[in-house]
Amino acid sequence: MKSKTWHLNRREMLKGGGVALALPFLNGMSWAAPSKSIPKRMLVSYFSYGAYMPNGPAGIPNLNQPHHDWSWWPCRDAGPLTFNQSAKPFEPLKDYVSYYRGLDHAGGWALGGHSSGDVFATGADMVGTQKTNSISIDQVAANVHGHKTRFASMVLGTEGGTGSYGRSKTLSHRGPGRPIPSMHKPQKIFNRLFNPYAGKGVEQVRAGLKREASILDLLMDQSRSLKGRLGHEDQGKVEEYLESIRALEQRVERTSKWTHEPLPEIDTKGLNLDASHKDPKEYIRCMYDLVYLAFQTDTTRFASLMLESENSSQSELWNYATYVLGYKGATHDIAHKRPVDYSGQWDRWRAKQHAYFLQRLKDTPESGGNMLDRTVVLWGSAHPHASHSTKNYPIHLAGGNQLGLKHGRLRSFEGNKKVPLANLFLSILHAVDVPVKSFADSTGPMPEAIA
Amino acid sequence: MPRLILFLLALTLLFPVSHSAELSSGKSGFVSHIKPFFKMYCVKCHGFEKQKGKVSLYDLDGDLGKGKALKRWELILDVLKAGDMPPEEEMTRPAKTDVLVVAQWIEAELRKAVARTKENSIAPQARRLTNFEYENTIRDLIGFRLKLTDNLPKDPEKPYHFNNTAEFMLLGPEQVDRYLENARKVMASAIVDPAKPEVHKTRREWQPHGLDRGIGVDEVGVWGNRRHSPAHGMGLKSFPDTGEFVIRVQASAILPPGVKGAPLRLILGQTIQINSSTQRVEPVGGAYVVNSIDEPKVYEFRGRIENFPLERGRVVRGRQQPDSRVITPQVLYDDGTLNDGNRNLTMPRVVINWMEFEAPVADVWPPAHHTRILFDSPLRKENPEAYVREVIRRFASRAFRRPASKAEVDRFAQIYKMVQPELKSMEAAMRETLAMVLISPQFLYHTVADGEVTTRPYELASRLSYFLWGSMPDAKLLKLAGEGRLDEPKVLAEQTRRLLADKRSKDFVRNFTMQWLSLVKMKTVPINNQLFPRFLYYVSAGERRGTEQPYRPTIRDYMLDETAGFVAELIRRNASAANVVESDFAWLNQPLAAHYGVLDIEGNHFRAVPLKPEHRLGGLLTHGSMLIGNGTGSAPHPIYRAVWLREAILGDDVSDPPADVPALTDTAGESAEKALTIKDLLAKHRQKESCNDCHARLDPWGIPFEHYNAIGKYQPLVPKEGARISGFNKQTHGDLAGYAAYLKTINTEKVEAAAHVPNGPEVNGMADLKAHLLEHRHEDVAENILRRLLTYGIGRELTTYDRYAVAEMFKQSVANEHRLLDMIITICQSPLFRGAKDKSTGKP
Repeated sequence: MKSKTWHLNRREMLKGGGVALALPFLNGMSWAAPSKSIPKRMLVSYFSYGAYMPNGPAGIPNLNQPHHDWSWWPCRDAGPLTFNQSAKPFEPLKDYVSYYRGLDHAGGWALGGHSSGDVFATGADMVGTQKTNSISIDQVAANVHGHKTRFASMVLGTEGGTGSYGRSKTLSHRGPGRPIPSMHKPQKIFNRLFNPYAGKGVEQVRAGLKREASILDLLMDQSRSLKGRLGHEDQGKVEEYLESIRALEQRVERTSKWTHEPLPEIDTKGLNLDASHKDPKEYIRCMYDLVYLAFQTDTTRFASLMLESENSSQSELWNYATYVLGYKGATHDIAHKRPVDYSGQWDRWRAKQHAYFLQRLKDTPESGGNMLDRTVVLWGSAHPHASHSTKNYPIHLAGGNQLGLKHGRLRSFEGNKKVPLANLFLSILHAVDVPVKSFADSTGPMPEAIA
Repeated sequence: MPRLILFLLALTLLFPVSHSAELSSGKSGFVSHIKPFFKMYCVKCHGFEKQKGKVSLYDLDGDLGKGKALKRWELILDVLKAGDMPPEEEMTRPAKTDVLVVAQWIEAELRKAVARTKENSIAPQARRLTNFEYENTIRDLIGFRLKLTDNLPKDPEKPYHFNNTAEFMLLGPEQVDRYLENARKVMASAIVDPAKPEVHKTRREWQPHGLDRGIGVDEVGVWGNRRHSPAHGMGLKSFPDTGEFVIRVQASAILPPGVKGAPLRLILGQTIQINSSTQRVEPVGGAYVVNSIDEPKVYEFRGRIENFPLERGRVVRGRQQPDSRVITPQVLYDDGTLNDGNRNLTMPRVVINWMEFEAPVADVWPPAHHTRILFDSPLRKENPEAYVREVIRRFASRAFRRPASKAEVDRFAQIYKMVQPELKSMEAAMRETLAMVLISPQFLYHTVADGEVTTRPYELASRLSYFLWGSMPDAKLLKLAGEGRLDEPKVLAEQTRRLLADKRSKDFVRNFTMQWLSLVKMKTVPINNQLFPRFLYYVSAGERRGTEQPYRPTIRDYMLDETAGFVAELIRRNASAANVVESDFAWLNQPLAAHYGVLDIEGNHFRAVPLKPEHRLGGLLTHGSMLIGNGTGSAPHPIYRAVWLREAILGDDVSDPPADVPALTDTAGESAEKALTIKDLLAKHRQKESCNDCHARLDPWGIPFEHYNAIGKYQPLVPKEGARISGFNKQTHGDLAGYAAYLKTINTEKVEAAAHVPNGPEVNGMADLKAHLLEHRHEDVAENILRRLLTYGIGRELTTYDRYAVAEMFKQSVANEHRLLDMIITICQSPLFRGAKDKSTGKP
């Protein structure tokens, strides 16, 4: 692998605060200024169509058989982690990862195996009572702490856009009927995050924003007057529009405020922003790198990353296993056919990329620990294994050790111990200082996560 | 459906009409006949306990309009009439007369239920422009195309559905944010500064050196070009940020015997490296070069510089180098033997003596697209305020596709006033003001009924143009709308014809066809490059060896042109819908024709090619686009093809497989070698009852396609079951001809393509399948096309409430023998399309 060096610009560093001056110039130091509150971060990431879980019904390993070397689960029994072939990439991160078995969103049960990814980050009951998706975990957090960073959150995916009901291309939702389109082009994401002024001077940008705010005001007035003259069904559409303009006004205000803070300067050497789906490893790592950079520079603290979305037969995601492993068939076929040789390899490939990201965080020092200590990373899918059942998700949690999360174990919640996955979500939210009482169908926090 | 009407008619002749009269209407009929019928024949599988196909009948009562029952009733009616239910293999099947009575009762009750509802003619809803419509609209508004969709969140896609429905076209802050960025970009290009800009020029010449060593230094060959030859492009170090450019090339062709011309293409963007597949480029245009080197000719190409990718300048020894672009000429000749050894000299080559680039084109300054907005007028000096208002009024009236109201002009004039002191020049202030027009709801949404009756004709103008052009109405349509004449059937027919004759209708046909036939996925099915070694272009060396080389159009790309072009040609000829199943011509160019085995076609332009039976082409069913998209990349996939046939051609709604289907086996279609066994696997599939319920009615439709392989070629022989096929290997096979010879030795078994279609005979292969469809399903095919066109045209899904409106149109279509242009006219004239509130009078 090429060496990747992102040096924080020294000049910006000096401006950032005097304390930083005393530290040696480390490769990839956390950008968060010590004078500010030390950030607590969260990433929700998703892979589609489950993982390989042989030797057991419904994704739970059979306790009468030895553990399968290529099962997605690292070991058979709940307790301290041991790592099989599939989970091997996480071995160096032993004390930073946990596996949760037997959890799922009841709201996704009836959604079907090609669609339940829709609710992975929301837990909404889309088939039953709610009919539409609801707010996602990253947005709940962004609503509370988002104002502390240049961007409240960052929504990434590998196919882009929102997708539609049952074929979501994003994990994040502002609320019912309000999906947030995911961004999937590395260069565009980079520009938006780190070059938001597109080369213009700060003064010029500020003046532009001021002007824009007043214009948007006028535009709102005008559009409001239109609403009164519309038929019932069209009013909803204009409401959607007005809301968007309002959000744009808020963004202008926010961007304006942030023009008073220096932009991080990032050396893009080694970062291949032209990476495409044709080279999955390069592309996926680039997406992870962008999340890493956004966290490291404290550009945002909450991110979602739909590594793979479902119903992707019209995109290159369909070919990932072909490009990576030489599998002759669609990547999704692996989930149905579960060829032994490819299933485990495919899972391990995904694990490698995820471990790469975790390792980067871990290698980056931050206030007496490292970035991973203060970043909660959820990684999972909304199906267990072959045949796309919608129960017992593969759930992998990492980081946040300094936020109270305890790791190094496989925790199991199958059978009588069953609790909603939303309980874990609630505990994650609490770990990043979002003191909500409930999330989706949660019945309370999950004490096991912090014990 | 009318097939069914005929069927019913035939039956009514056999059985006295009194039969249906016996059955009293409404609830009592339900109790006396319908319920017992259901009990006897249906609820065993569609009851409380078993709900096959997720359909149950036990809770229906005689009130058809109640809740969501209506849709279910319609489904029951359709399957009864089609004879799909009860299934053939069921022992206790009702007499046809009984079915008829039940069907008639449902039909009558359904009609009443539909008539009772106020919703029976749902006006088209407000929906935002799709990205496709958005880019086209801007193009027609400012007069040139800008690439804008790249910057917008992707529109949702759903196979066999159109994404222009209101349900899909949501709007969020991110979308509006990008609209704003785009709007500013658009106005920066559309309005120029008054001073004539610096013109950037680059020119390069090539001399005919090195002719003794094969291909010359002034030549562009298909493959293996010399260093410093024009094939490596002309670099540009200086160009404007925006503006039109012109490229002139003096070129001539060196043609091998039997080849009549060289297809030359220019691409512009980053430098293409031979071992790379990530450089970004865009085509500028092409020419078919036939003149010999004795008569060199100058070819001219134009485009907008901002649409082409840049190569960012690197920092060299601390100094920022300028950004650059490269113009690269290519020869797109492909007779299917590319890269088969060094055959450069036996393929057409293009000699380029010189090439020049110039931008912006400034013969007339300011350019026409500028003066269209900031028009020349004494008013500008005499009364600037009035001038500004007039500029806004004209622009907004075009952008909103209807006259802007005074209040609207006032608002934008206010914006102008607000920004002008700061931005100083009129040009800058107007850019900002008009950018705001482009993020107004009146621009972003179409067919917004804003409640004022005066705008209704304009809505119709928009509906027409967004249907048939995917873009805004032109001046002519708006004028007719303004005069209130557009609603006249004769005028509507004229305008429909005029719009379809315009080249913009190509956008409609392509967009419609791609979604109707769900063709997108053909681009991402992974082609097995060992079995099909020269079908796509691959990087041949280096780190990215074996990955697709994206810089030249492939036969796969031409296949999309084939399908869209074929449909467009059917409409142009006003040919019958039956041509979708079988036609006497195909739409081909040379490389694609060579692929299909059609000989003696010259050049890369598409044209109608008369077919002979031995070509085994005709209609849409043998189009490579469909066959590849519904294959595995190594082998055909009969289930995908069956789903395609039923969804796209017959108009059935094939439900997704249940989420927790167990895998067929562990090896189905996993590898090319084992693909042969798929028919047997399907048989196994059908042994399981849970699978069989759907697959018995599905799989047989896919089997007759089996002669067409994974890259859409006719292939009557395949290897023996279980045989291993080696992929192409240069050492073993030498060249493609060698590989073909090898394949011949192992392809010894006849393909099995016979299947018993549901409610029909045994069909063996494509010819049989087409004959069956034409004879027995012709009307279903036609009705499906009618429904798809209508759905696309009005931008919403059809419901049971539209059933009788569609039936009316269908009647009309029958009278026109389902000719496609006539069908589109019928749609445009229908009350449903015109958005008339009252169906009976057709008046708002």
